[in-house]
Amino acid sequence: MFLPTLFWLAAVAIAGVHARSSAGDSVLVVVEPEHQAKYSIFFQNIKDRGYELTFRAPQTEEPRLVEFDAPKFSHVVILAPEIKSIAKDIGPQGLVDVLSRGVNLLVALPQKQSPLSAFAAEFSLILPPPNTHLISYFPERNESATIIPVAPSKDHPILTNGITPIWFSGAPHALSTNPYLVPILHAPAQSFAGEPDSPGDVLADAAEKGGEGLWAGSQLGIVTGFQASNNARVTFVGGREVFSDEFAQKEINPGTKSGNTQFVNDIVAWTFQESLVFRVDKVEHRGLNTPISSDKYTVNDNVIFSAYISKYDPQTSTWASYSGIDDLQLEFTMLDPHIRTALLPESETPGKYSVTFRVPDRHGVFKFVINHRRNGMTYLQSSTTVAVVPPRHDEYPRFLSAAWPYYVGAMSTSIGFVLFSALWMARDVREEKKGKTE
Amino acid sequence: MRTAYPIPQNLSPETVNNTASLLRIVALILISGAAIASRLFAVINFESIIHEFDPWFNFRATKVLASEGFYEFWNWFDPTAWYPLGRVVGGTIYPGLMATSGVIYNVLHALHLPVDIRNICVLLAPGFSAFTAWSTYMFTKELKDESAGLLAAAFIGIVPGYISRSVAGSYDNEAIAIFLLMFTFFCWIKALKSGSVLFSTVAGVFYFYMVAAWGGYVFITNMIPLHALVLLLMGRFSSRLYVAYSSWYAIGTLASMQVPFVGFQPVKTSEHMAALGVFGLLQIVAFAQLVRAHVSSKQFQSLLYYAVVATGLLGAIAFALLTYKGWIAPWTGRFYSLWDTGYAKKYIPIIASVSEHQPTAWPAFFMDLQFLIFLFPAGVALCFRQLRDEHVFVIIYAVMASYFAGVMVRLMLTLTPVVCVSSAVALSALLDTYIDPQEPLEDQEESKERTKAPDASNGATTHQDSTPVSPAMPKKGKKAAATAASSSSATKTQTTSSTVTFILDALSSSSTKKSSSSKPRGIFGFDARLAVILNTIGMLLFFVYHCTWVTSTAYSSPSVVLASSNSDGSQHIIDDFREAYYWLRQNTEKDAVVMSWWDYGYQIAGFADRATLVDNNTWNNTHIATVGKAMSSSEEVAYPILRKHDVDYVLVIFGGLLGYSGDDINKFLWMVRIAQGVWPDEIQEANYFTPNGEYRVDNQASNTMKNSLMYKMSFYRYPDLFGGGQATDRVRQQSIPSPGPTLDILDEAYTTENWIVRIYQVKKDDFLGRDHKTANAFAQGKRRRKAKPPVRRKALLA
Repeated sequence: MFLPTLFWLAAVAIAGVHARSSAGDSVLVVVEPEHQAKYSIFFQNIKDRGYELTFRAPQTEEPRLVEFDAPKFSHVVILAPEIKSIAKDIGPQGLVDVLSRGVNLLVALPQKQSPLSAFAAEFSLILPPPNTHLISYFPERNESATIIPVAPSKDHPILTNGITPIWFSGAPHALSTNPYLVPILHAPAQSFAGEPDSPGDVLADAAEKGGEGLWAGSQLGIVTGFQASNNARVTFVGGREVFSDEFAQKEINPGTKSGNTQFVNDIVAWTFQESLVFRVDKVEHRGLNTPISSDKYTVNDNVIFSAYISKYDPQTSTWASYSGIDDLQLEFTMLDPHIRTALLPESETPGKYSVTFRVPDRHGVFKFVINHRRNGMTYLQSSTTVAVVPPRHDEYPRFLSAAWPYYVGAMSTSIGFVLFSALWMARDVREEKKGKTE
Repeated sequence: MRTAYPIPQNLSPETVNNTASLLRIVALILISGAAIASRLFAVINFESIIHEFDPWFNFRATKVLASEGFYEFWNWFDPTAWYPLGRVVGGTIYPGLMATSGVIYNVLHALHLPVDIRNICVLLAPGFSAFTAWSTYMFTKELKDESAGLLAAAFIGIVPGYISRSVAGSYDNEAIAIFLLMFTFFCWIKALKSGSVLFSTVAGVFYFYMVAAWGGYVFITNMIPLHALVLLLMGRFSSRLYVAYSSWYAIGTLASMQVPFVGFQPVKTSEHMAALGVFGLLQIVAFAQLVRAHVSSKQFQSLLYYAVVATGLLGAIAFALLTYKGWIAPWTGRFYSLWDTGYAKKYIPIIASVSEHQPTAWPAFFMDLQFLIFLFPAGVALCFRQLRDEHVFVIIYAVMASYFAGVMVRLMLTLTPVVCVSSAVALSALLDTYIDPQEPLEDQEESKERTKAPDASNGATTHQDSTPVSPAMPKKGKKAAATAASSSSATKTQTTSSTVTFILDALSSSSTKKSSSSKPRGIFGFDARLAVILNTIGMLLFFVYHCTWVTSTAYSSPSVVLASSNSDGSQHIIDDFREAYYWLRQNTEKDAVVMSWWDYGYQIAGFADRATLVDNNTWNNTHIATVGKAMSSSEEVAYPILRKHDVDYVLVIFGGLLGYSGDDINKFLWMVRIAQGVWPDEIQEANYFTPNGEYRVDNQASNTMKNSLMYKMSFYRYPDLFGGGQATDRVRQQSIPSPGPTLDILDEAYTTENWIVRIYQVKKDDFLGRDHKTANAFAQGKRRRKAKPPVRRKALLA
C-alpha cells in the first residue's frame, strides 16, 4: 500500500507536476477543526495525490471560496454537513454558483435538517426526513444495524474493478430521473431507512400501508455522483463516516481490511476530474475532393468530418489520444437532424474519428453536432456551423434532356429566320418595287 | 388681327423655335434641379443615412455587389438571414437597383472619383427623379405638346406622392422603377405611333430593366396588353400596333425571363397570362386580316365567326385545364387582395399586417397630390376629345391606377405619374386658351386659321402630329382627325368614335352648333385672361408650397432616427434604434442570432450585422409564424422554440415610455394572427382580449396576454421606473400593474435611453437540468417544496 504511494510521490517530484487532476490542484476542505483528526488517512491520501489542502471551519469566513468574483479553489470537500448555520459562500447558493464556474464538489450529506438539505434537492436528490439512518440486519454481524457493509457493483466505470466491500453508515437518498445523476453506490437490497432508536416503527407503519412509503432496497442511493452540463462534478455521500479513519482500518471480513480507502480514492479521482475525463481536441471537415476546409458546402457534396478525442491520463497529467469510444455519433442538423451517423474511430490515426457522408439536398445553415453523453464520462459536445448553398449559376448541368422543346424551338426559329432571309433576299426585284410603291 | 396684348411681330419662325427649345432645355434643367433639391431635406435635416427597412437590405446587397462583383452577388447565399434556413439572395431579389448602383460605383471609381457606396445609394433616388421628370416630359409631349410636357415634368418632380418613395436615403426599388415605368410607356406610345421596331425594342429593353428592378413590373405587363386589347376592340388594329406589341412582347418577355427571380413566371403564372393572350390574339387578328385580303367578304364573315368562337372556347378551356393541372399558377394572394380588400385580413394576415398594404385614406390623396387630384379628371376628360391611341392609353392607365391606389397605399405611387400627366394636359389646355393673345373673331373662317398660328407667347409650336386642342375647333376637322387615327378600322367603329366625339362636343362649352349662330365665343380682353392666369399661378404657388412642406415634414424622416421638438422649438433627436443596433454589433458574439419581429430584420442585419430569424422579405410564412408563436406564448412554451432556433438575443420595440406608437405591443395582434394561422389549436386571438373584447395591457388584461413573452418583455421592470408611482403606458394610456412581470428564461441585456428598444439574452439550459423557474427561485433563496421519492411499486393492499 505504501510502496506505490511513495513511488508515485517520487514520480510527481521528478516530473515537477503536482496535480493529477485535469482541473487544478487546490482543494478547500470544510470540516470542523475538532473532527479533522478523524479523517487523517483520507486527507493524507489526497495530499499524496498531489493536491494542496486548505482547511476551513464551516462558520468562519476565511479563507474565502470566491475572491474577486473568481473561485480560488478547484475542488471543495464538505465534511461538515450537519451545521445549522454555514458561511454564505459555502451555503447552497454559493456552492451552486462555484459549481457553475467549474469547481468540483465532494459533499457528505447531512442526517439532520441543515442548509445542505436544500442544496441536495437542487440536484434532484430526495433526502429522507431528518434523523433517518440506513438500517440493515444482514449479514449478521457484531456491529450495530446502522453500520453496514456494502458491496460495490463489480464493473462500475468509476470504481476500481474487484473492489472489496466498504463500511457505510449514514442516510440513504432516493434518486429522481435527472439524467445528469451518476449512481455510484446503491443501498443493499435488504436495507431500509428508519430511525435507529426505534427501527421497528417504520416497518410497522409501512406494513399497515401495504409497503407504501417504506424507503428500502437497492433503488436507494448512498453514494451518488452528478455531472452538470458544464462537466463540473459533484459527489454526494450519504454519511461522512465513509471517509473516516475508523472505517478505513476496520476489517470487513476477518483478515481483510475494508475497501473504504480504495473506494474513497476512486470517487475522489472521479470527482476531481482525474478519471473518465475526455475532450474533443478539434474537429475538421472538408469536401471529399478538396484539400482545405470550407465553411460553405454545396448541396449533395460529399463531406468528410473528423473529430479528435483525447482522454486525460492522471498518471502523467497529460492528454492522450483515445480511440476507445465506439458509440460516437455525428448529427448534421438544421432545426432537426437531417443526418445522424456513426462516427467511427480510424485505425491509422489514434484518437481520430471520422465519417464521410453526402450533404442533404437542402440549402440552409447546418451544424455538425457531436453530443455524446454517457454516464460518468465527460460530456463530449461540439457544434460547428456551416452553410449549405445551392449550386452556383455555372454549376448546373449544361445540357438537360428535359429542355429538348426549348432546344428544338431555338433551332427551328434560327433555321426559319435564315430561310426567310434567304427567300426575302432572293425575291423578284419587280415584287420589291411593288412593295415600295405601296 | 386683334390681340389682347401686344406681341412682337417681327420675329422669324426660326428665332421663335430656337428660343423656345433653349427655354425648354433650361426649364428641364431647372426642373431636374428642383426635383433633386427637394429630396435632399432628409440629408440636411438628419444625415446621409439609409432610411426605413427595405432600403437597408438593398444597401447591404449593394455593398456585397460593389465589393465582391456581380457573379458573387448573383450566387450570394446569405446564411444570416432567415436563420437557420438561410436565403438565396441572388434568386429572390430584383437586382436592378443594386446593379444600377454598382455600375455607377464602378464608373465613378474608374474615373478616380472615390465616392462612398453609401452616398451613391443615398443619392440614387433623387438622381433618378430627374430622369423621371425628363421621361414624363417626353411622354406628355407625345400626348399634347411641349408645354404640357414641361408642366408634367415639373409636377412629377415635386409631387409628394412620388417624393414619398424617392427622398435621399430611400434606397428602394421604387427609386428607379418610376423612371423605368414612364420611359417604357413613352417608348410604347412612340412605337405605337410610328410602328417603329426600334422604339418597341427599346420599350422591351426598358421593360426588362423594370422587371429586374421592381416587382411592380406586373403593372406594365398588364397595362400594355390591356391597351392593345382595347385598341383592338375599338377596331383600331393596325400593322403599327401589331409590330409594336409583338416586338415588345417577344423581346421583353424573353429578356425578363433572364432575371433569376422571375424565371419561367411569364409563361406560368396567371398574372402574365393577359400579355400572352393578347399576343396570341394579335397573331390571330393579323392572320384574319391576311385571310380577308384573299377571300370574299361573305365567306370571311362566317369564317371569322366560327374561328372566333372556336378560338375563344379553346383558349378558355386550355387556360382552365392548365391552371387545374398546376401548370399555370393560380392568382397569388397579393393579387386577390387587390380585388377584395378584406381578403388578405382573412386568409393571409402577413400581407394585411404591412401598413403600406392597407387601403388608402381619402386625405392621403390630397396630401400626396394636392390640387392635381382636381385637375386629374379634367385632364382625362380632355383625352376623350382627341382619343388618339395614346390618349386611350392614358385613360386606361388613369382608371386602373385610380382603382389600385384606392386599394393599397403603396400603389399611390403608380397613380402619381398619370395624375401629373393628365393634370399637366388640363392645365396646359387652360393656359393655352387664356394666354393666347388673339381676340375671338366674328368670322368663323378666321378662327380656323387661328389654330395654325404659332403660339409665340407660350413658347411652343404646335406639334406636327398632334391636333391642337382648341375650343373653337370645327367638328369636321375633329372627325377627320379621329378617322385618320384609326385609318384601317372598320366602318362600324368609325361611327362609334364619331358618336363619342359628338357627345363630347355636346359636353364641351364650345359647341360648334352655337358658334354657327354667328355670335363669337372666346375670351375677350386682357383682364379676363389675367384673372384666370393669376389664379392659376396662385394655385401653382400653393402647390409648390404644399409639396415643400409635406416633403420636409412628412416624408424626409429616416425612421431609424426619430425627431421631436423641445419646448423651445429646437430639434431633439431620438436615436434609440441605432443605439441598440450598435450595442448588438459591439457586445455580442459575431455569430449570435437575434430574434425580433420581421419588421426589424433588415435593420438588424444592416446595422448590427447579426443573424436574424425573420426579416422584411416575408417569404416563409411558417417561420414568421414560429416567431409570432414564440412572442405570443408563455415562457415555458417559448423557450424550446428559442433554443431550437439557437436564439441568443430577443429584441423588442417598446414605445410605452416615450409614446412611440409603432411599437411591438401595437403590432402584437398581427403576430398572434399569423401564429394562429399555423397553430390554430395553440394560439387564439380571442384569448388576448379582455372579456369585453378590449385590447388592454393594464390589470384587466387577460392572463394569456399577461403571460405572453411579448407582454413580459415589454413591461419587464417598467413599473420600477416610476419609483412606486403608477406606471403608465403612454401609447395606450393605460396603467401597468405593479409589480411588473417576471422573466425566467431571459435576462435583460440592454435597454436604450428612451426604452424604445429592449434586448434580452436567452438563458442557456440550466446546468443542473432544472427548469428556469426553479433555478431562479433557488438563486433568490426561496424554499422549494419537498419532493417525494418516485413511487416505483404499487401498494400491495388496495
